[in-house]
This record gives sequence, C-alpha cells and structure tokens, in this order.
Amino acid sequence: MHVQQFLARLYTDGALLERFVAEPYATAREEGFDEEAAREFAAMDAESLKLAARSFAGKRAGRGDHR
Amino acid sequence: MWLVIGIGWRRELATSILAHLDEIDVLEVMAEEYLHANASERRALRFLATQVPVVVHATSLGLASTEAVDRKRLDALARLLDWLQPRFWSEHLAFVRAGGIEVGHLAAPPRNDETLHGLMRNVDEARRVTGSLPVLENVATLVEPPFSRYGEAEWLNAVTRATGCRLLLDLHNLYANATNFGFDAYATLRAIPREAIGAVHLAGGRRIEGERVLDDHLHAVPNEVFAMLTELAPEVPVILERDGRYPQFDELLGELRRARTACMSSSS
Repeated sequence: MHVQQFLARLYTDGALLERFVAEPYATAREEGFDEEAAREFAAMDAESLKLAARSFAGKRAGRGDHR
Repeated sequence: MWLVIGIGWRRELATSILAHLDEIDVLEVMAEEYLHANASERRALRFLATQVPVVVHATSLGLASTEAVDRKRLDALARLLDWLQPRFWSEHLAFVRAGGIEVGHLAAPPRNDETLHGLMRNVDEARRVTGSLPVLENVATLVEPPFSRYGEAEWLNAVTRATGCRLLLDLHNLYANATNFGFDAYATLRAIPREAIGAVHLAGGRRIEGERVLDDHLHAVPNEVFAMLTELAPEVPVILERDGRYPQFDELLGELRRARTACMSSSS
C-alpha cells in the first residue's frame, strides 16, 4: 500500500485510526509496510492525527474547515 | 505601486461585494461551484468578470498526489477557464484522494521527492489540458506528514523550481503550520524568492486543542497574519478568504483596507 493511500485511510476509517493509535507500528506492519516505513508512521503524533481525522470528517459532513 | 486587493466570491456576500467594487480589485471564484454551471450561471459570472477581474481557485484536483490527476475534473476545469477567461487559476499543494478513497478535503502530502515527481506529472497534465500553469498554494495541516524530507520553505522552493509554477502564498496557512510545528514563519517568508510568489491569501482560523491553529476561514484575519503581510510587502494580488460565519460586510471591508494599508506602508 502507498503512503498517501494509508494516510487517506487513517483520515477516513475510524476503526483503522483507533487501531493505529493504539498500536501504530504493528498496525503499519499489518498493512504491509516494512520495518523502516512502519517506524516512520509510528512516529506520527497521535493527537494531531486524531484532530486531523476529525477535521476531515467535519469537512465531509459539510462543516467548515481549512482551504 | 499598484495594489491589487480582493476577496473570495461567495453567494452570501454577493450583494455586498457588488455594492463595494470601488474597494475590490479582484474576485476569486471557487472552481468547483462553477464546473457544471448552467447557461444562466455562466452569463452571470461572465458579466461579473466584465466588472472586476476574476481569478479561479480550485480545491479538488489533488495535484500533489502520487496518483494521476482525474482527467474528467481537469476537462471540466479547462471548460470553465475557457468560458470565464480568468487572470489566472490556482490549486493547492495537497492530495485529496488516494486508492479510491476521498479524504474530503486538502491533505498535506509528504514533502519528499516522490510527491514532487507526482506533482510535476500532474501539473504538466494540467497545463496540457487547460493551456496554462496553475499558481500553487501552500496548505495548512494539523499533522506533520510522515516521510517528509523537506522543510516548509525548502519544499515550496523545490516545488516552484520543479514545476515552473508560482506560489499562492497563504499567510494564514504558513502561520498555522509555523505555530503547529514550531518553526519560524518569518524565516520561511524570507527564504522564498519574491519572484516565486504569484498571489497571496489572507484568512483566519481558531485555536483548538493543544494550542494548535485550525485554518477554518470562519474567523477574522489575526494580527500575526497582517504583520506577515507587512513584512512581505507583496506586489501581487492579495485575496481575503472567508467561507462562513459571515460578519457584517463592514468588517470584511475593514480587513481589505487593513491589507491595503499593510502593503502600502511596507512599500514606503
């Protein structure tokens, strides 16, 4: 899977995001990324990721966000 | 010095905008609202363009995607540009979909060479289909994209060098990212060559959890952004974006006047 595709899934799939926040490295590995890539994903700030996902969800629901 | 100060064209603001065209030098039209405009809407917008210069701002192409840009969207944009004849058109340095998944809005891509190559391919296709290069806007983000190998200024400079496009420098997006990730917005401003900037956006946002800044276009332009505008002293169009929670139009006029003053004072 490609990086942007996995990010898109994290921004749109609540269950995947929850799993990733709980176990980022393991989740990235399960999604097919190698160790180095999984470490890079695991270094993402979980709080920021959740905020971003919430912001995108708001946008999809028609509420204001960034442009 | 010739200043060009404008505002985003929004239906909710139309009457007020038309009543104050003496203070508005340019209008920015959202592409997605007119990609499938009917004859009446086209007539109205073309008439508007005879009254004041217009530019077109797109949000749905996802040019900074590692996937190819959607040809149908590009074709629709090309038709809009053809019948409206704007001064220029712009898009974001963002991806909006991947692997068939629609994110719903502008997602900051990893700032690396892989994204750059995808962007170059997509910009080239956009130029081929529309006949012109877009002006590319820096995006705000709440999450630092993983696999990023360039800093913000380095990324923007790499983008302009690689694509030949100029920047639509959104000062609030830069302010938001500088706040969210702890870098110096002014150092970034100084690192971008003046000739690489084709236009400037002003907007407002709000503080959310953890003192992060969300660029929501629903609030007044903060003082910090006006200070950056004064520092930048742009000699390119400066456009105010407001997407909702509209205040009395006098408040928006006040922001346009403040922008004009900021540009004028910095040039003196």
